[in-house]
Order: sequence, then C-alpha cells, then structure tokens
Amino acid sequence: MHINVKKEILGSGPAIIGFVILLVMIMAALLAPLIAPYDPQQQSVSSLLAPSMSHWLGTNHVGQDIWSQLLYGARTSLLVGFSVGALAVLFGSICGVSAALIGGLYERIIMRLVDSLIVIPMIIVIIVIAAYIKPNILVLIVLLSLLSWESGARIIWSQTLSLKERGYIAAARSFGARKSYLAWRHIIPALGPILLVDFIYGIRRAVFLEAGLAFLGISDPATISWGMMMRDALGFSYLNVWQWWLVPTGIALSLTIVGLTFIGHAVEPIIDPRLRGAEVA
Amino acid sequence: MLSRQHIITYGIALVFILALNFLLPRMMPGDPLMAIYGEEALVAMTPQLKAELVERFALDQSIWQQVGAYVLALLRGELGYSYYYNAPVFSVVLGRLPWTLLLVGTSLVLSTILGIVLGVESGWRRGSWTDRTMLAGLMSLNGFPDFFVGMVLLIVFGVIGGIFPLAGALTPYSGLTGWASVADIVTHMVLPVTALSLAHLSGGYLLTRNTMITVLKEPYILTARAKGLPPHAVKYRHAGRNSLLPVVTQTGIWAGRVFTGALFVELVFAYPGVGYLTYEAMMARDYPVIQGLFLVVAVAVLAANFLVELSYRKLDPRVSRAH
Repeated sequence: MHINVKKEILGSGPAIIGFVILLVMIMAALLAPLIAPYDPQQQSVSSLLAPSMSHWLGTNHVGQDIWSQLLYGARTSLLVGFSVGALAVLFGSICGVSAALIGGLYERIIMRLVDSLIVIPMIIVIIVIAAYIKPNILVLIVLLSLLSWESGARIIWSQTLSLKERGYIAAARSFGARKSYLAWRHIIPALGPILLVDFIYGIRRAVFLEAGLAFLGISDPATISWGMMMRDALGFSYLNVWQWWLVPTGIALSLTIVGLTFIGHAVEPIIDPRLRGAEVA
Repeated sequence: MLSRQHIITYGIALVFILALNFLLPRMMPGDPLMAIYGEEALVAMTPQLKAELVERFALDQSIWQQVGAYVLALLRGELGYSYYYNAPVFSVVLGRLPWTLLLVGTSLVLSTILGIVLGVESGWRRGSWTDRTMLAGLMSLNGFPDFFVGMVLLIVFGVIGGIFPLAGALTPYSGLTGWASVADIVTHMVLPVTALSLAHLSGGYLLTRNTMITVLKEPYILTARAKGLPPHAVKYRHAGRNSLLPVVTQTGIWAGRVFTGALFVELVFAYPGVGYLTYEAMMARDYPVIQGLFLVVAVAVLAANFLVELSYRKLDPRVSRAH
C-alpha cells in the first residue's frame, strides 16, 4: 500500500479549503487567550448588547462577550476532537491489529464485540451515562473514545488480514519474526493512511458529539462550548440577538465539521481505491 | 437466512444495553434507590413505599437476585414509575413514540429517495461541473449539525417569516377534526422534517454516487449502451438499481442516526417526541424515564438494524453465502 498522502490531499481543491479552515480554527484555539478581548467567563450587567467596537459580537444573556466565548469554544471543540480522534485510533488499532495477528478465539471474541458495538446507537448510551455522571471535559473525552473506536477497529482488522498475506510480511514471518515485531515494523507503518482517515473522521464525530451533548445540556457549565452557546442562544430566538449570537457559533461549528469532511473525503480513496479518479475532472 | 454470528452479535449488543441500564444506577455512590428514582422523588416517598420498592428491586438481596428481579420486571413490560409525570414509564414513552416515528420515518424516506436520485445523477455525470457542485454542496451540508439547520429554519420561516408554527406537533385546544387536523399536523412537521432530511441527505447521496461510479465501469453497462438503450434507461434501470444495495444496508444505521438526530431537532421545535421527552426527563432528573427511554430507543434501533440485515440478505443472496 504505497500511497502518497500528501499528493492525495494537495491534489484536491476541497481538501485545501478544509485544511485552511482547520488551520484557522486551530489558530483561534491556540491563541484564544491572546486574541480574546475579554475573559469569556466574566459576567457583566451589560447583557444582550448589540455588536459594537468594544464587543464585536455583542454580549449574551449574562453579559459575557460572545466573540471571546467563540474563541474559547474552539478550544473545547478541538481539544475534545483531537483527543478522542487519537484515543479512538489507538484503541481501534490495538484491537484490530492484535485480533488479525493473533487470530483464533481471541480474534472471534474481539470482532464479535466490535460488531455488537457498531449496531448500538452511541449517542443514547452517552446520554444515559451522562445523566448519572455529569461529565467534565476529561471524562467526556474518555467516554467518547471508549464508544467510538469500533468502526475503525473493523477496517484496521480487515486491512491487517490482507497485509498479513503480503510477500514481505510472509517473508518476515518465515524468518521467525515475532507478532509484536511484525505489528510495529510492518503492519502499523503500512496502515498509516488508513489510520489517518480514521483519525480525521474520529475528530469530526467527536466535535459533533461534544457540541450536540452540550446543546442537550450535558456538559460541564464551567467549560465554554459552542453547543452550550447555541443552547443559550435558542432561548432568545424571539429577539434579533440570534444574528450575532447563534449564527456565528453555528457557522464556526459547521465550518469545522465541513473542513474535516473535506479532508477526510480527499483521503478516503486510500481505503477504497475504486473511488480514485472520481474527483478528477 | 441469518447466521449464528449475527444472532450472537445482536445478543451481545442487547446484553450490553441491559447491563448498562441495570448497573448504572447501582454503581452510583449512596443509596441505589435514590439513584434509581432521583433525589426529588425520594423525599416525597413514604417509608412503606420505600420498603416496597426495595423489595421490588430486591435491593436488600444479592446482586444476582437483583438481576433476576430486573429481568423479570422487563419481561412483564415494567419499566418503572415516573414520579414527574405520575404515570408508568412505559406509557409515558409509548405516548411520545408515535410523534418521533412520524418525524423520523418521513425524514428517512424523503432524504433517502432524494439522496439516491441526486447520487445517480451526480455519479452519471461524474467530473462535470454539476457533479462537482453537488458534491461540494452536499458535503458542506453534511457538516451542518441538524440542530443548527433546525434553528436557522425556525428563525427564518417561523420567527421572521411566520409561515410555520414555532413549536409543538399540534395547535393546542384547536378542536380541529378530520382533514383540518391532518393539515395542522403537517404544517407542524414541515420544519423539523426539513431540518432532519437536509442534515441526513448526504449519506444516501455520497454512497449512491460512489457505487454509481463503480457500477458504471461494469461490462454490462457497456453492453446496455452498445445495444442502443436510451441514457435514462441505462442510468436508472441498469446502473441505478444496482447502486441501491449498499444504500439499503446503510438505512438501518441511518435510522439510528436520524432517530438520535430527532433528539436534537425535537428540542429545537419543542416537538413532543421521545427526544424532547429525554430532554424534559434530564431537566427534571426523572431517572426512571431516562432509563426507560434508553432501553426503548436502543432496542428499537437494534431491531431496525436487524430487520435491514434480514432484508438485505433477501435482496442479495451473495451476502448470506459469503460467510
């Protein structure tokens, strides 16, 4: 599987747009403490102000600066997104690769478990768990990662099975290479592009879920989140504040997800090479 | 028919759901009765009622006896009692289910049909300007969370436009009957259904387009063209129909997604389905209802997946022989 990921991505217009969007969001998240004009938690008596020079996007119902909240919201979204993406890839590849290499009863147990998790609607599981333990951001990351590694594990498993039969890996095995050596030296590097796709879609799912859960009221009130901001804004939809409160927040969230989709879609032909050339005009 | 493998898979999923539902309240620190019923309900309880509930859940006995009591209660269809709604959980959930099914069913049908048609057209013209615009447009749409789409629709067509009602599924106390009440339900449905359908359009579209691209390379398409069939016949009868199969498998998974999507959209429109009920129950800390909802929704989604898998096997006999 020799694929030039860089070429694959840079050859696609939407992917470049996706990268630019993601880069802007990452910058906003990293530089939030420097760019944000106010402390996003700072409440004031000047609530529901219209945009002005001092408050670019006005203020919310408790007088917090919306622009500053928007910047800090990017932090939460991306922190949850990247952490969950990485952890899900980690769990997925540990289970997928080990199941394919070890085989036997172990493989059967792991794969049955994976299949079962795939058919369970995860949002509902998270909601019921969150109803009991009000999760802070760390717990949320762990929870989301534990519940979103299974589809990646399935793809990684099937790819490892086919890799195992390749000439060079069969050769290494015939020289007596141990399974752990095979996994680290040959399988994981060859899986690189697939892990990348899994990672990107993992981030996308986590960003969406985090916002959705916060929108439902399942979040740590101390953490500023786009979902929470939209939920607050919904309560004031009869005023004209939605123009600078709801819309920018929703657009920021949507753009982040769109950017990740564009990148993911450009890398996807790696998993299914039959799609290659579908974009080329 | 179904392999043993699949029955085991769904069996494990079901056990996982039941185990989670059983263990969660019992793993919470403190009085399990409080975790099962919530603080507020417990304050209002008389000692006799408490004793009765401890006995019903077998809380004073070993964990296995508790499991037994739990399973027996489920088999009798008992999901507990909601002190917030003052009714059995089962009937509370059942009363809301039709609204959600109406919303989800309509959206699923609309978005799947539209997705297939757009996917066939797009894949047929692959690489063209139309195809690229549709692809970029629908992929962007895919990024817009359903609740955000819903809120924008609500503000534009509800608050500003005043064309559609803002909340609910019916006009309360309107006393409408016959066609007038059907029209009332439909006008209340338009915005939530549009939000859900738009947000879930891209799944069917992308999948159909991808399959279409693969199918169009098949020799039988060349044959169909060579024998002089008109393009629309090749497009829909030969390529389109064969692009349907993957869409059918995905419908089960989409059903789950649209169902959970409805959770968010119902909250936006205060639509009285199970999604809004989940929200109300969480706000009221009505744990029996949350648990009952979780069980009903999770099992419903499992059942949908299971049925789709069955029908898929009927549609494509190769699948059942593949294992």
